[in-house]
Amino acid sequence: MKFIKNHLMFILPLMAILLGVEFYLVFDRTTDSYEQGLKDGYSMLVVTQKPVSLEKLQSLNKHVSSSVKIKRETIVKEIAKGVSESSTQEILTSLPHFYTVRLDAYIATSELDEIKENLESDTAIKSVETFGSSYSSSYRLFSFIKLSLKIFIGFMGLVSLLLIIKQMEIWRFTHLQRMQVMEIFGAPLMLRSGILFRVAIIDALLATLFTSIFFVYIKFVWATHSGIDIMRQNQDELFRISDIMMLLLVALVIVIIAVTTVVWTSKGVEE
Amino acid sequence: MSNVISASHLTLAYEHGENEIIKDATFNIKKGEFVFITGPSGSGKSTLLKSLYGQIKANEGSLVVGGLDLATAKQKKLQELRTHMGIIFQDYKLVNEWTVAKNVVLPLMIAGYSVDVQNTQASRLLKHVKLEKHADKFPLELSGGEQQRVGVARALAKNPVVILADEPTGNLDDYSSNVIWDLMENACQQLETTVLVVTHKIPSVFSLPYRHFIIENKGVYEVH
Repeated sequence: MKFIKNHLMFILPLMAILLGVEFYLVFDRTTDSYEQGLKDGYSMLVVTQKPVSLEKLQSLNKHVSSSVKIKRETIVKEIAKGVSESSTQEILTSLPHFYTVRLDAYIATSELDEIKENLESDTAIKSVETFGSSYSSSYRLFSFIKLSLKIFIGFMGLVSLLLIIKQMEIWRFTHLQRMQVMEIFGAPLMLRSGILFRVAIIDALLATLFTSIFFVYIKFVWATHSGIDIMRQNQDELFRISDIMMLLLVALVIVIIAVTTVVWTSKGVEE
Repeated sequence: MSNVISASHLTLAYEHGENEIIKDATFNIKKGEFVFITGPSGSGKSTLLKSLYGQIKANEGSLVVGGLDLATAKQKKLQELRTHMGIIFQDYKLVNEWTVAKNVVLPLMIAGYSVDVQNTQASRLLKHVKLEKHADKFPLELSGGEQQRVGVARALAKNPVVILADEPTGNLDDYSSNVIWDLMENACQQLETTVLVVTHKIPSVFSLPYRHFIIENKGVYEVH
């Protein structure tokens, strides 16, 4: 019982950190595709006095990725119903040029204002409509969700780290006597700390295994039956084989740092 | 015969040299000698012993053990030197989560002997200290005297060049004390092991010739 308790006291906080890491990876992947959707669905309207090329717009701001000219004839056809041909022609010649401009990334509202400013600095451009308010609310909601998750993961990581430090103190207490006796009799550092490294590496492997099983369950069982569209659409992003390597690497790095710290602070015989 | 331990103007101190325990001590101990170091409580007997296995560094002077100058020795050399020493403590310093047999063969384990050799040696040594029936027990299941006999068996496991003993019979009954003195006498006599014992009192029945140093007022003096 004591043996299981000792292992769980390290495995559980380590698992919490690994869950945080995996949640971050999964969230990053799923939000990437969502972010792509938001970016693709957004465009701004640029009104110019004379025709402008894409290169010209890109020279004004590097975020401009494409521009599509809106046919003025279509606009005139819509607004000048029942108007004579000559009047229609007159409207057409006096009408400015309209462009739908898309960007290369889903950027912050402040950057959107900067793009507007850059484009309007050119005398050929009469005005720029960024549709900032709807963009801003989507962006803020998206940023808020991202930030909340990061804070949650960070907090979970911090609490877990404190638990690991606590466990390090327990390790130091339980392994100190053996390590010091071995040191007196001339055992090299690796032999003295070998047992502790073995115990900790086993814990790291178990924590990685349990975390992976949890995410495999989420991917293949929970996501399928959840009825949540975004989960089903992004099922492939939920857990990848390569994530196991990442989790194992994180677990081993934590374990090696923790054990090395314990071993170094246990050097020298206390009386 | 060559010196196994050689101290020259040795000064040992704690608190960055401010609290001097031993001052300007000079003495030599040869191979196969049995040495008692006595002195009042707090005189620095245990400090001197710790300096001999490199636990405390000399503040001044030199201390050479087994040809190694402990003041300048690297950690690896110090570790190697310790594998040729048998150290016995008043508080036994056994590993409580290990069996008696495993505790006894610790020096062999460190030296990389095979498990078979370790097992054979464990049986022989435990028979030697009359604890063969307790091989699979844990130290805390034994009496103080029995634990100290395990400590002595461990110290003898690799036929050390030097045995350093800090109050080895301090808390023990007469039977256990006699067993321990016999074991150390035998090691000294038969294997020419140098034995250095820190104690309050030299045992009344002791058959071997020995040297006696006393620590007084920070000095180490030989009693003739």
